[in-house]
Amino acid sequence: MIRLFLLLLKNILSLIYYMEKLTDKFIWKSLKEGDLNAFSVLFETYYPKLHSYGLKISKDADVTEDTLQDFFLYVYEHRENLSDLDVIAPYLFTSYKRFLLRVMKKNEKLIYTDAPDETFVDLKFTAEELLTNQETESFKNRNLSTLLNKLPKRQREAIYLKYYSDLKATEISEIMGINYQSVVNTLHKAIKSLKEEIAILKLFN
Amino acid sequence: MIKRKYTKINDFLEDASFKNWVVQNNGTDISFWEFWILNNPDKKELVNKAKDLVLGVSFDKNFVSKEKVAFEWKKLETKIQVKKIKQQRKVRFLKPLSIAASILLLISLGFYVANFYTKVTHKTNYGEILNIKLLDGSDVTLNSNSRLSYYKNESRKVWLSGEAFFQVDKKVETNAKFWVLTNDLSVEVYGTSFNVNTKKKKTAVFLEEGKVWLKLKNGVDKKMIPGNYVSYSAKKNEILEDITIFNPTLKTSWKDGSLFFDNLSLEKAMEKIEESYGYAIVFKDETSKKTVITGAVPITNIDICIQAIEKSVDVKIIKKDSSLIISKK
Repeated sequence: MIRLFLLLLKNILSLIYYMEKLTDKFIWKSLKEGDLNAFSVLFETYYPKLHSYGLKISKDADVTEDTLQDFFLYVYEHRENLSDLDVIAPYLFTSYKRFLLRVMKKNEKLIYTDAPDETFVDLKFTAEELLTNQETESFKNRNLSTLLNKLPKRQREAIYLKYYSDLKATEISEIMGINYQSVVNTLHKAIKSLKEEIAILKLFN
Repeated sequence: MIKRKYTKINDFLEDASFKNWVVQNNGTDISFWEFWILNNPDKKELVNKAKDLVLGVSFDKNFVSKEKVAFEWKKLETKIQVKKIKQQRKVRFLKPLSIAASILLLISLGFYVANFYTKVTHKTNYGEILNIKLLDGSDVTLNSNSRLSYYKNESRKVWLSGEAFFQVDKKVETNAKFWVLTNDLSVEVYGTSFNVNTKKKKTAVFLEEGKVWLKLKNGVDKKMIPGNYVSYSAKKNEILEDITIFNPTLKTSWKDGSLFFDNLSLEKAMEKIEESYGYAIVFKDETSKKTVITGAVPITNIDICIQAIEKSVDVKIIKKDSSLIISKK
């Protein structure tokens, strides 16, 4: 009886593992075959994260929502030409960023003559969106956001993708076009300099 | 969990129990990691780095509401449906077009693949010399009435019938060999210049410079040094000639468009002319056969060639149909 139960448990576990491993791949494959249900799952999973990401880049809710609509429509219409994917997040983040930046550049051109061409977007953090943890308990979030915004652009983007979008380092490396070790190093450098700055500020307070 | 090896930072970052320990969440994980760190002091730095990265910065994440997402999805779904209806009208016209396009694509793809494995053949007629540059950069001069072929994906392996002079580029970085294959033997080359002649039911190789190995059809390997002239017949299974020639122009002058005769009987000399131009040779008398000739004649222009021979030796040559009739003046 116990053995049977264990066998069952083992099967369920492997099934869960299998599903988790296959979900992205399966959803993507179904989407490519034109399955609208798969596409709705994809939309519901990634819309919130892409929305925050777009808002962070453009600082404009209308632009973000319009480009997201156009972007997802583009993905659906070109689904047959898309390459096979095992993980979807890097593709969506990269493509959407490119999509959004192109639109922003077009809009900007109406106002300014030349918009700077940047590979790493300039993300800024606000005091409100930061949570206090043990490290920063006695420390004001305002100061933390100021410190965060002092970091180089690359480090800020890596921090955003890691701790806000909850992406894995492997996925971030694909999005930012740098290798895995560089992502880890960039993140660590950022966290380390934050910690040091905090320590210095605490001394003077 | 416990069986896992933790050597790289990735092993810690992707590990759920490690995260649990960092945020002090699960009793089992906490005690496991405290024990593990105690037993792996050399990994302390890596653990601290990973811990920093797990803790990182905490955000008060503010994602759009479920209702908003559902609303946006409805909006998108409607757009997709509308487009679908519009496209269905278009598809009727597009379908034959797209089928035609795909067929065209398939055909061109087929050509491309076929091209890769295509046999390339260069052929010369009588009185014609062809300079060929192979894909690997080697130069080949193909004598008249000869044929050289190779596959595009393997351009350093050529088949020869007739006569050709090779100047093979040495591939220093890959040390790739160059092969000339004939009915009688194959010549294995690293980078050198040499002449191969398969006329007269044998293969004669003359090495101008460098080093080559002959792999005869009977399995014998023969090394050649500059100046060597070796001819071999697979049918007779014997080496017919193995001599050293000190004047290479005698064997290779054809590639510059002329044949050198050095104290050769007119009979022998006319054999060469026959090879180059494809005319049958008819001697009217024995004296003309024995006449000795020294000098050069062109191999791409039969009329000038006849004139040159007539000038240097005392004979009359008449060109009639496909023969040359030679008589004493």
